[in-house]
Amino acid sequence: MNDRERTDPQGEGTDPGREHTNLRLVETTLLVVIAVVLAAATINDLARQVHVNHRLAADMRTWRAITGHNYVNLDVEEDLKHFTTRDVICGNTAPGAPGARPQVCLIAIGPIRGGRRHVEGGFYMPPELADDAYHRYACFGSALLHHWCLLKYVPRGYPDAPLVGG
Amino acid sequence: MSVAAGTIDRRAPAEASRAGERRRRFTLALAGFLGLLLVLAVAEIMIDGSAGRSALIPKAPSISKWLGAIGEPLGYRVFLIALLTFTGAYAALAVMARQLPSRFVIALIAALHLIVFIGPILLSTDVFSYIAYARMGVVHGINPYIHGPIAIKYDPVFPYQGQSWLKTATAYGPLYTLLSYPLAPLGVVGALWGFKLEALLASAATLVLTWRVAARRGLNPTPALLLVGANPLYIIYGLAGAHNDVIMTAFLMGAVALALSGRDSWSGASVIAGTLVKATSAAMLPFMIVGRRRVGTITGALAALLAGALVGYVAFGIHGLDIVAALNRDAAFVSSDSFPTELAHLIGKPGVYPVDHTFLKAALAVVLVYLLWRTWRGYDWIAASGWALLAIAVTASWLLAWYTLWALPLAVVVRDRRLLIATLAVQGLFIIHQAAPLIAPVQ
Repeated sequence: MNDRERTDPQGEGTDPGREHTNLRLVETTLLVVIAVVLAAATINDLARQVHVNHRLAADMRTWRAITGHNYVNLDVEEDLKHFTTRDVICGNTAPGAPGARPQVCLIAIGPIRGGRRHVEGGFYMPPELADDAYHRYACFGSALLHHWCLLKYVPRGYPDAPLVGG
Repeated sequence: MSVAAGTIDRRAPAEASRAGERRRRFTLALAGFLGLLLVLAVAEIMIDGSAGRSALIPKAPSISKWLGAIGEPLGYRVFLIALLTFTGAYAALAVMARQLPSRFVIALIAALHLIVFIGPILLSTDVFSYIAYARMGVVHGINPYIHGPIAIKYDPVFPYQGQSWLKTATAYGPLYTLLSYPLAPLGVVGALWGFKLEALLASAATLVLTWRVAARRGLNPTPALLLVGANPLYIIYGLAGAHNDVIMTAFLMGAVALALSGRDSWSGASVIAGTLVKATSAAMLPFMIVGRRRVGTITGALAALLAGALVGYVAFGIHGLDIVAALNRDAAFVSSDSFPTELAHLIGKPGVYPVDHTFLKAALAVVLVYLLWRTWRGYDWIAASGWALLAIAVTASWLLAWYTLWALPLAVVVRDRRLLIATLAVQGLFIIHQAAPLIAPVQ
């Protein structure tokens, strides 16, 4: 057993007295400041997420109102590239498992009014495919103006009716 | 003892004894109720988690369908209510932990472990990545340190892979990958049970070692055991996801136990074994060396590192040894639950940028250097290791619930209570951050 272990058999350290107390005070103060900042950041982020959730819920209500389908499993994509509040909401055009039928997608923008958001355009997609310009067809509204659809034909038997801004 | 008219009143001590007995019974009854809440909360999650498709349950082969017969698919609302109930009951139990009989705490933790073991995998596809990496090496002869699971897209485990990790080679250490290899030939379901059992045994080892270290350091081991073994993130996120972080903590606590019993070479080797499971474990080594100041720690660590490197090289080539590259790759990821992301949102930024990673690494380096200096000056090296692991989790832009578990077993075996408070506070903030769907459901 060496000297260090003789004075510290449980390996708990041997912090010296007065200097230790001062250091501890500084450390504790710093920890409290960090805790307050992290707590503020967490609460702020929770509030932000609640706000986003309200928006996404309004997006879904809007999609159901415009398409006339009361489906639960809708896919809402936020604009994580430019951090705008423009959301794309996609869902089945006929009853079936999520994504298993041709998809109709709507582009929602602006604030929530009367529990819904303004839809500026949209497009269709064949089933079971990721949202990609090459998979989109029959664009309407702003999606048509901005050339969001690179699939130039409507797959046989699939829906293609413009829902807004026709 | 009261004295009246020259006679000794024997009623006072008897009354005090009865009051003490009443208080003890009330504490036990309350603890029983709180323990029941923990069991019911986790059972509710597991039953509903087995009942069908849920956003909280990764796509998985059905291993617990019989449990779901009485439940309904797990939704965010039920999950969050159960998580918050669990957390509240855990907090109350933690307050009264010193008065709880150890048998009660052990029985409670055993019940929680059993429920989680028979239930579905929760909240993460990681265990299917573990299976994929094992099957890549054993069944397909593909090096999991070079290729991601996309290389075995016709393997039965492929449909269960997380979309984000399809092209990602394993970031885990060669020891863990080799430990997982014997499970690969068991098929997807057999391997899944194997990984669940591995996590269960690792958790049992972590808890036994936590108990022994706490007792050795003169602390009451019962609260230490409760605080780790019934922790909400440990049970619901760590163990229920069969995450290898539990194996890492078993090696770290093994290292602490070995160091305290004077077996320094083995202690250093145990830290390296943890590092060869998950590289983050390496954070303990400098504090152990500076705090212990024993040659054996360094020689043990070096010997284990050499042996691990040799085995890793033979099994996986040079890629199996490049853990630093894997760490750097993971450090660049960003998760919405991380504190850097939350801080970025607080100051009005949309998220964490590459330049922020440099700042975060610098901040972490400052903390680590300061902790080393403090340890050199006599601060408890085990506490310093805990702070280091907590600092890594807090500064990581990719934070997952099970990262907050790294420091927990260390925090309950040190006298500096600030570490435990800080660890639990970080976990508390993580849980609070999950609550948005409860306040504003999206449907």
